[in-house]
Amino acid sequence: MDKHNPVGDGVPTNFANNSPVLMSRNEIASLCSKAARGAGMNWGLAEEAGHAAAWLAARGLTGPANLAVHFKAAEGQSWQNVCPQVEAGQWQTRTGTPLCPVALGATLSDYALLPGTSFTSNGLKTGPVSCPLLVLPFLASAATAIGNTIKLSWDGGTVGLTTTGEVFGDTGELSATSITQIHIWTEESGAAHTQAASMAPIDPETLDQLSQLAMKTTVPPSDRSREGAGAGTSDND
Amino acid sequence: MLLQDVETKPMCDDSWRSPAEVMRLARMGSAHPTRLSFLRVMLRRMQNEGWTFTRPVWEIDDRGVGRAVYCARGPERTYSLVAFAHDLPEDMRSDRVIATAWDATFALHDGIPSTADLDRLEQNVPLQEAGRVTAKELSLSRANRSVRLFNHVVERLSCGRQPDTDEIESVGYLMRTTAVYGAGKFGAADHETICDRPEFKVPFQAEMLSVWLTRQFTVDIAEHLASCKGGKQAVRFAPEIKARLGVGNSTGLGMAPFIIRHPILLNNWMTAREEALARVRYLNAATPDAVKHLKQAFKNAQINLSQWHSDHPLQVTKLENLKLDFELLKTKISTFPEPGNKPWNDLWCWAQSKLTLEGQEAMLSMLLEPHGKLIDELAERMGADEAASFRIDGAMRIATLRALLESHYNWALETDFTKPENAARFWYVSEEKLEPRLGERALDDGVDREQPLCIARLASEMYDDLSAVSGEQTVAAFLLQHPAHRYIVRRVQAARSFPYAEVRDNLIADDMLPIDLMRCKLAFFGATHFDPRSDKWVRICLFQGAPYPLDPVEEVETVHG
Repeated sequence: MDKHNPVGDGVPTNFANNSPVLMSRNEIASLCSKAARGAGMNWGLAEEAGHAAAWLAARGLTGPANLAVHFKAAEGQSWQNVCPQVEAGQWQTRTGTPLCPVALGATLSDYALLPGTSFTSNGLKTGPVSCPLLVLPFLASAATAIGNTIKLSWDGGTVGLTTTGEVFGDTGELSATSITQIHIWTEESGAAHTQAASMAPIDPETLDQLSQLAMKTTVPPSDRSREGAGAGTSDND
Repeated sequence: MLLQDVETKPMCDDSWRSPAEVMRLARMGSAHPTRLSFLRVMLRRMQNEGWTFTRPVWEIDDRGVGRAVYCARGPERTYSLVAFAHDLPEDMRSDRVIATAWDATFALHDGIPSTADLDRLEQNVPLQEAGRVTAKELSLSRANRSVRLFNHVVERLSCGRQPDTDEIESVGYLMRTTAVYGAGKFGAADHETICDRPEFKVPFQAEMLSVWLTRQFTVDIAEHLASCKGGKQAVRFAPEIKARLGVGNSTGLGMAPFIIRHPILLNNWMTAREEALARVRYLNAATPDAVKHLKQAFKNAQINLSQWHSDHPLQVTKLENLKLDFELLKTKISTFPEPGNKPWNDLWCWAQSKLTLEGQEAMLSMLLEPHGKLIDELAERMGADEAASFRIDGAMRIATLRALLESHYNWALETDFTKPENAARFWYVSEEKLEPRLGERALDDGVDREQPLCIARLASEMYDDLSAVSGEQTVAAFLLQHPAHRYIVRRVQAARSFPYAEVRDNLIADDMLPIDLMRCKLAFFGATHFDPRSDKWVRICLFQGAPYPLDPVEEVETVHG
């Protein structure tokens, strides 16, 4: 029995022409969640990683690719090394290693409605963040929760998230940024120019990296496991 | 009582069954289809809206190989089932998800497919998981023949004779689907992109349409092969024989995790059904028409029971008990309604005190049957916007989280997971086609890759860790210290708004029966004739007794109306 490619929760195993693959949002979320778990994230955070990557892809952004890059960069790092230390005005890791964007985003979202900790007009500065594009989906849901626009800036540009959870600004530049310190603050909601986008295709290299990680959540087959899952009766009746 | 009275009066709390009663595996594993089941909802819509059906393509050769297209035209849109018929060697026929070839494969296309679409689908659909569809497709599925009955039917029809009714009844279908994939699988359209269409507001409507059109295909190909074989001598099905054929479905563990992974969806299915029951129990009169309808529903249930066969010891016992239940019910229903203010409630309370779980759930289905005007609109609430509840409320205090655990997960906190029997199994995903499987913790490899379906244990572990935390602390701070609980925190917080979200049993216990999870889901689809093949595998029948899409409207039966 051939090992089934986990991309194959969607993508052909004989995929050979090396061109980008258009996947559904559901497939991206599923693949990226599995990859995140395979990369060592806990299940709850892995769900959020999948959700975030799919949210970005649905807006034409390279969420899955950034996630794959982050997993490579953060390989072997424990939660304690990549999660933020929550202090007024300044969040960074305990040791100065880059923040995991999913851990940072999830924690920002968790603290969104707690006064004085994350989203203020004065803003919050962070230590270096790995693949900061991945923070955007969390800021989007936080913007909806707090009812204010949230802005994120770095030395290469600014991106905003509206209260309806849409994104505007220098997203292309942020996609290409592998690590940077960021500044996050809130603004009264105003008019913003958001662009409709179609689902971003996934490049084969990203697909391969994520699939290999996703495979780490699966168990190699054995005759015992194969038999145990069947009906135990003939299907030729 | 008028319908508006029900909607304006607060629902009497004691008319509702509690989650503690409803969300137990033994009861879920006794679930019966109701008029809120998804295939019933779909058939009602198609009948009410006057959908029309055609078969514009039938390119099947005399070996039964080729392709066909069935179109369903509604008020705004048309959907097409594209079917591919194959010549499958017997040694390749397997209902398992790890199979690689089937008797027939299908895709439901959004619109009318062009020749280019058909060619594209022909390159992919027969490969199933190893192929690729696009956002123009809404489902991907396959089916295998019930070899014995299919051959018998073709043989008989080809000689100008009708099939033997005993043979028909012993199986109930010509083909059984072995997987029906929807919602974004293998490149198909995401549910979010189509759920604003009225016809897809209720869950699994595209899949149900696909299976209904598949049922038409199964009788068409049998008649086609009979005609090829017998020529002028061959006859078509007699309508009463054809009506007895449904579509089978054969399913294993792949289906079981779904209702655990979609707690809000499960809650909404259960809540709709339970509210329907509560509304009926709250009625203060039984009209002659409703009484007549109830008696007809009981008659249909008796016919269904007489055709329901299983060799599995668990189901054999349940069916014997159901027969005894129906004996009691026969007397009870003959005198219904008895004097009283709430005749339906009285009948229900009697059923609860006298009948087995299988009988009670069958009774529930019968009680709902006469009350379409009162309850059918509840189906519209069975979908779920899961994304809306995804964000964790980090501002919640630990005291509140603890209280939620104690009130909604008390069943889990009472379990001692240090006892081997309470953690005897583990759910995992096999490399092979990502098939979900259930392992023995003490014997099987892969425990380090356990899936988070052990909800009770996850809740219990978090409760232990919460004991050392101040009630004033926030969930946000707790998760920073204990990130591993993030998954269960999301579920526990959802329990506030979605009380029927959680199956209140230990899903890794040594005596847990996965078929109970599957039966619950299949009953919501509208399945009948549950026939377990093991504790992890079940065959069922869909659409038996329902009309066929290509039948003239005047011939349409109203059994499923």
